[in-house]
Amino acid sequence: MSEVFDTIVRSIIVSGIATALASLWSIPLTYLLVLRNRRAMVMEVIIETLVGIPTVLLGLLLYMLLSSSGPLGFLNLLYTPQAMIIGESILITPLIISVSYRSIRDMAKLYHELALSIGADRFQRIRLIIGQSLPGVVAACITGFSRAIGELGIAMMIGGNIRGYTRVMTTAIALEVAKGNFEEAITLGIALLAITISISIAIKLLSRVRIT
Amino acid sequence: MEYRYIIVLGIALLSVSAIILYATYPTRPIIRVRIATTTSLYATGLLEYISSRFTEVHRNTELQFIAVGSGAALRYAERGDVCAILIHEPGLEKLYIERGAIEGQRILAYSFFVIVGPENDPANVSSALDVVDAFRRVYRVAEEGLIRFISRADNSGTHNREMKIWNLIGVSPRDKPWYIECGCGMDQALIMASEFKGYTLSDVGTYTVLKAKGRIQNVKILYGNASDDLMLNIYSGYLASGCRGTERMYAELFLDFIYSDPDIVNSFGVEEYGVRLFYHSRHYEGSILDAWNRLALSG
Repeated sequence: MSEVFDTIVRSIIVSGIATALASLWSIPLTYLLVLRNRRAMVMEVIIETLVGIPTVLLGLLLYMLLSSSGPLGFLNLLYTPQAMIIGESILITPLIISVSYRSIRDMAKLYHELALSIGADRFQRIRLIIGQSLPGVVAACITGFSRAIGELGIAMMIGGNIRGYTRVMTTAIALEVAKGNFEEAITLGIALLAITISISIAIKLLSRVRIT
Repeated sequence: MEYRYIIVLGIALLSVSAIILYATYPTRPIIRVRIATTTSLYATGLLEYISSRFTEVHRNTELQFIAVGSGAALRYAERGDVCAILIHEPGLEKLYIERGAIEGQRILAYSFFVIVGPENDPANVSSALDVVDAFRRVYRVAEEGLIRFISRADNSGTHNREMKIWNLIGVSPRDKPWYIECGCGMDQALIMASEFKGYTLSDVGTYTVLKAKGRIQNVKILYGNASDDLMLNIYSGYLASGCRGTERMYAELFLDFIYSDPDIVNSFGVEEYGVRLFYHSRHYEGSILDAWNRLALSG
């Protein structure tokens, strides 16, 4: 049982750090994208396409990079949790950008003229928009977290599913299925869903408290 | 007004998909035979090779292979999700035969397990007296923190064989820091062994194919012994007891097809890799069956 617990905790930590890392660059980038007010059509299309990138493809690319015969082999990152965190943060970057982009853009449209009409300066305008679009950004991060924790391809290819080290819930489920232990796989699957849902609810509640 | 556009669009989509469905619908009856197989047979390409030869003769069949571990293959057969299985796990096979889940055993082929490790061989496995001695050497040197051992840890035939050898030594490597349980297929375990410059137990076929592709440059075969039961890898075919009708008939035909023609198995890969990857059981049926029984009895 403690092994299952370990796996669950590892899943949450890896996906959590990956989400934090991804939002670190995704969210400023999104604000920049909206506020610079360029014709962002092309960027939008590219990012929305990248949202659906197959995880095994990204996993394979990262594997070829990190493998000891690859260009970044000297880092010795392959089959480590750090590699999984990096891979998953790259995976969810387009997702976080594209989900938060919509909410920020809508808020910017809505409040831009309002802010102008009440005589706010540029800095105050941006602050207003950031404040108003926060719930949407939080929702984007939750979506990113769910994608990271429910993802198999990268975890398997560059994590390696090593017991007690890089085994996370999805790779554990895949392994139990391969072993023919369908019951254990279902149990793990239910746990995965329950955790994702409760974390999402918790973050939603927390972000609502902060705004009011 | 907008509703009208949606309805028109819906009808258009429906009719297009109906046309596509109609155009791709098989005009002559095709018999699908679902076969679960161990990854080693599938990953080496042997099954695709045999299957292409088989469908040349039986044009109306389509063989669908599901490559999984031996444990999962047996579960699929028991649940009736596949009609035949090809596996290499005598202990488990015996259990499922007794449960009545599988029947009609045909020993189709055999190959060998080998110990794969880094070129410089810190554990000096290459001069081991037998496989048990080789594992003992790995254990001793690994305890000194010099090497790592990669275990499949996926309940596959190879993994169970590895566990059996550890049991014979009387040690339990689980939870040791040098014992890496990857829970993965043979190909990935070999790649991991190469990355970590570690040791692992592999079937000779998967090793040969990966080596020829240049995927595992840091490891080589350090120990193999063709005359030891423990290093003998026996592949059997079974029919799932729950499978009936034409699918069963063709599944049986397929198993007999492999069984009756030693050439298909023996010639596979020779041209490409320069060595035989699998050996047909013809002429050795008796001794291989004996070995199978010994392996099945010892769990």
